Amino acid sequence: MKPKIITSDTDVLIIGGGLGGCMAAIHAADLGVKVTVTDKSNTLASGAAATGIDHIWAYIPPVHEEMGYTIEDMAEEHRIGMSAGLLRKDLFLLVAGTVYDRVLDLERFGIRFRYEDSKAPGHFRIVPQFHSVPSSFNFDGVPLKRVLTREVRKRGVDIFNRVQMLDLLVTDGQVCGAAGIGTRTGDVHVFRAKAVILATGRANRLGRNLCGYDFNTRIPAPFSGDGQAMAAREGLPLINMEFLSGRILAPCANYSPNYGDPRNTTQPAARVIDGQGNVLVPRTSFYDWESLGKEKWSLEVRKRWLEERRVIGEARRRMVAEQRSGGGPFYLDFSEATAEEAAYIEWSIRNEGKGTQFLRYFLGEEKADLRRNKQEYAGFSARELSGYSSAGLWVNGELETEVRNLFAVGDVLGGFPFGASPAAFATGWHAGGAAAQRAREAREFLPFTNGVVKARKGLCEDILERKRGFYWREVETYVQNVMDFYCGDVRSEPMLRRGLERLEDAKSAPLKAENPHELARSMDVKSIIDIAEMVLRASIERKESRPAPVPFRRAEFPEQDDEHWLCFLAIRKEESDFRFTTYPVG
Amino acid sequence: MAFRHIYFNEETCTGCNTCVEVCMCDALAPNPEEGKPPVEMYPEECWFCGACISFCPQKEKGAIEMVTPFPMRGGFTADEKREEHKE
Repeated sequence: MKPKIITSDTDVLIIGGGLGGCMAAIHAADLGVKVTVTDKSNTLASGAAATGIDHIWAYIPPVHEEMGYTIEDMAEEHRIGMSAGLLRKDLFLLVAGTVYDRVLDLERFGIRFRYEDSKAPGHFRIVPQFHSVPSSFNFDGVPLKRVLTREVRKRGVDIFNRVQMLDLLVTDGQVCGAAGIGTRTGDVHVFRAKAVILATGRANRLGRNLCGYDFNTRIPAPFSGDGQAMAAREGLPLINMEFLSGRILAPCANYSPNYGDPRNTTQPAARVIDGQGNVLVPRTSFYDWESLGKEKWSLEVRKRWLEERRVIGEARRRMVAEQRSGGGPFYLDFSEATAEEAAYIEWSIRNEGKGTQFLRYFLGEEKADLRRNKQEYAGFSARELSGYSSAGLWVNGELETEVRNLFAVGDVLGGFPFGASPAAFATGWHAGGAAAQRAREAREFLPFTNGVVKARKGLCEDILERKRGFYWREVETYVQNVMDFYCGDVRSEPMLRRGLERLEDAKSAPLKAENPHELARSMDVKSIIDIAEMVLRASIERKESRPAPVPFRRAEFPEQDDEHWLCFLAIRKEESDFRFTTYPVG
Repeated sequence: MAFRHIYFNEETCTGCNTCVEVCMCDALAPNPEEGKPPVEMYPEECWFCGACISFCPQKEKGAIEMVTPFPMRGGFTADEKREEHKE
């Protein structure tokens, strides 16, 4: 099998067709430029919202203005409550200030956000999640990707499904296209473009999955960090790479329905209890919308909220500690839910992530019942790069990287913990507009040297023609073992350095593939190795411990050290070495 | 016998391959014989999102069924009603 080279031209190339990529495509196409989207899966069901999301947080003017709660108040809570200080306020304000408009866009596209039975302004369903006031829309999110794909196609955008992009084409500090492979054909795709948007999502598969099914991860398994890896190879800085989520293990109860803590998809009625019925995290109740505006928001509200967050945080730590010292198990308990609350929770679960399939199992295969059967609760089990848009590319306030005309959106970005879907919607939209503007200004395509494309084609041929070598999963498992053992929950420099030595073997391991599918998985592994190396190196460099965006613990430096480390640590590849710099927070 | 967990109903599956197209992980492949149910090529690469079922035009007729793998089952407390059902 000989891979062909297929070349296409476009004004704006969007790599990744999830929420961010689709919003970018819609906005750019509305501005009259030629737009192309590539997706390594199929935009109908790809990205972190592939089969749905049930909540989007936002600054919601009709609600929050009535409360006397400002966007500055919300930014401060996101900084202290969600990010342990590591928040880019400029990105926060860009997202929080525009995502309500994006929600209204989605509504125009046909997504349902309003419900007769809701007494909230606009008949929205709004629950508390990340802030001291209700700030997350609950909605019918299952059809998101079908609807967005339809809107993208309606605007004449070319969609290349099953194309995995792997290389950026850069001339004199300006992006001029990108290259990748067809995951079903093995062909090399080269796109010439005037502006490029990276929208490939998070990096996943950075540790073993204890339930026994490697791809049963929390966020989609195809996320291999291709976007971050290709940007790193161009010498672009990435921040927060040391914040790899830990190993809070749930080998049982591991359908990963993405509940989060009992303040997310399972509110209001879920509580966490132990086997004796002791309550670790109490239930909540729906917000009383009839008293909206009667009492203005105050710092007292924030104080109560911070206290509640502390209780949840302590409960999480207690669960892990007790399970290792004779306690446990712990359960998510809905038994006190009213019928109305139980129906609401079931609706919410159905809309979120793999919730629809989880309910097919829980209600269908098992004939279980949310209120009758308590579910074991042990947190997440996947090892993924942290906190949504927390770890990733450093961009300017216009979402442009140091490479001119190259933008990054959604989870590829760094510096915005729990940006999540609101960040994808809002930054996607914003970058789509900015990229279209640049494409209109550029008169012609920049020339590029063909070295990168030739090297990629050569690598593909080697892997496909190799008679003896390693199957991708062998190398991936090796890398995951390295990460779990040398880069665990508590890290130390000697172990991390040994991890880097072991990783060298993975880098040079000869991969073999029998078909394009296995070839694409081999490329996943290459990206995963690149990400793993940056995680190990950044973990050595940050010489403190910090509880968020996800807990980062160094054995030699157990304390949080704001004097030296309240900053973004940026890793940058230079020739064969790496260089670290820091960026101020704020 | 290799592990598999997605079952096609030969009677109701029309072999339209919609599930093959939407599978995020490309775990399914069209049957070499046209009109026949797809083949589960890479069962161990399933993310368990259920898009194959959600998008199936014949889902009401049960053309695709996912049987949750055994290690992923359980994890919740039993009760009498459920025990009765199991028998």
